[in-house]
Amino acid sequence: MQPSPAPEATGSTGVIRPRWWPRFRSPLRSTAVTARLGRAVGICFGVCFVTGMLSHYQYHPWSWLPEPAHPVQAYRVTQGLHVATGVATIPLLLVKLWSVYPNLFRWPPIRSVKHGLERLSVFVLVSSALVQLTTGFLNTLNWYPWPWSFPSTHRYLGYVVIGSILLHIGLKLPDIKYGLQARLADADVLTEVPWNENPLAHSNAGDVPPPEMPAMDRRGLFVAVGSGIAAIVLTTVGQTVTPLSRVGLLATRQASKGPQGVPVNKTARSAHVLTLARADDWRLEVNGPTPFTLTIAELESMRSVTRHFPLSCVEGWSVGAEWRGIPVLDLVHRAGGAESSRVEVFSLQPNSPYNHSMLLGPQVGAALLATHLNGERLDLDHGYPVRLIAPNRPGVLNTKWLHRMEVT
Amino acid sequence: MRRYRIALGVAGGLLLTFGVFRLVTELDADDLFVLGVWLAAAVVIHDGVIAPMTVGAGVALTAVPPRARRYLQGALLVGALITVIAIPLIGREDTQPESKAILLRNYPANLSLLLGMTAAVALVLYALRVLREHRPADVRLDDESE
Repeated sequence: MQPSPAPEATGSTGVIRPRWWPRFRSPLRSTAVTARLGRAVGICFGVCFVTGMLSHYQYHPWSWLPEPAHPVQAYRVTQGLHVATGVATIPLLLVKLWSVYPNLFRWPPIRSVKHGLERLSVFVLVSSALVQLTTGFLNTLNWYPWPWSFPSTHRYLGYVVIGSILLHIGLKLPDIKYGLQARLADADVLTEVPWNENPLAHSNAGDVPPPEMPAMDRRGLFVAVGSGIAAIVLTTVGQTVTPLSRVGLLATRQASKGPQGVPVNKTARSAHVLTLARADDWRLEVNGPTPFTLTIAELESMRSVTRHFPLSCVEGWSVGAEWRGIPVLDLVHRAGGAESSRVEVFSLQPNSPYNHSMLLGPQVGAALLATHLNGERLDLDHGYPVRLIAPNRPGVLNTKWLHRMEVT
Repeated sequence: MRRYRIALGVAGGLLLTFGVFRLVTELDADDLFVLGVWLAAAVVIHDGVIAPMTVGAGVALTAVPPRARRYLQGALLVGALITVIAIPLIGREDTQPESKAILLRNYPANLSLLLGMTAAVALVLYALRVLREHRPADVRLDDESE
């Protein structure tokens, strides 16, 4: 590489940089590269924000706007997209940050109050985006090396990230406009000297030949980054796109290795229900205008139906499964309720925020109390003797090891 | 453009403020402190360790002749991106109950396979380029056809 004749930049303040101050020479870096990478990062975070909020709504719906039961796969798709996009954004963000790394070495570091505030906003953006992606990814590995509650912190940090991104776009709009309009091959090289203070910058010096890129050029950079990200997506997304599970070299979940072909997140042991779920005196208590109680034998002798619903985890893995069980609506009717009733189910699992869940609106008519999974009696880890399963619903809200149902 | 910039700035500022407000009010002081450490550490580790390493690698690579260098750069870039995702998987292998069906794969072997494939693709592309440049016959043919 030709050592580019680094201009003796003085900066608008006229202060000369110290000799030891870093100088960046790679001709690969350019606002044209950054703007294109930034556009991709922005789109990815937008997708993550929207799908993340949809997921949050699944957990905290308004009673007057319940989740629909169709399409059955809706949550599987939105949450699969959330996690797959988030994972792909990790390499993308790293490359985006590489492309603007020289900006960290502006001289003088802070020129004015306005410049200082702008740098602070970049710090907030970079730190929140990195932490958001890192903690989100570790969460999919069930790894929590932090003390705070993941879901709420992830959501609030999501607002910080998306807000900083919008602010950043507003601040950088002129640069973005230049970058997206400039041709990749001959746009200005991005160094620690702002382009408008660099007399040799293409856009200042007039019609100069494009920067020489003897080895990798900018197009090659995009090919490499695209290939790397494609490889990551292809080898991780098999945890939710079942046909790709064979090439899931870096996928976290393997549905086929789970009991009855479906992974679990909470085992019967970790939920402390090993004894309770297998007790002879287990009963399902159904409360409503006309309450009643069922033994296992009574429950199993009721009319059952078969449904194909996916189990879709908030952690981004999902798997299609065949469930057999009693329509919740049958029990609701017997308890004196109707399709418009609210139904709450309760687990034997003690002390967990997810040991109960609420069915509202269309999901009441679609849900089953499942006794069978993929043709076999429900495994203990899957919620034996009976669990809830409903379409378009996060896995953890399909409460397992049920013992009580309230119809109101 | 000014109008868009103001709209983006205001919308972004409000969302950002809302997020910070919720974090500050909902997390207890100890958790908030640890979160602050994470946020600062993320920038320090990225700007102080990861980014300088890539710059260093880029400088070291200038010793390689340009024709080979572009394929080496490409392979290293792809390999590095894949490795970033693979490292936490390796660190977390075999830590979870069996029925979760999580992290059961041999990630070190799979990472080696992916890196090997990356190297192989880069080598093939490089070899094709070298071959192309050493076939003057084709060049002459092309010239004649024009």
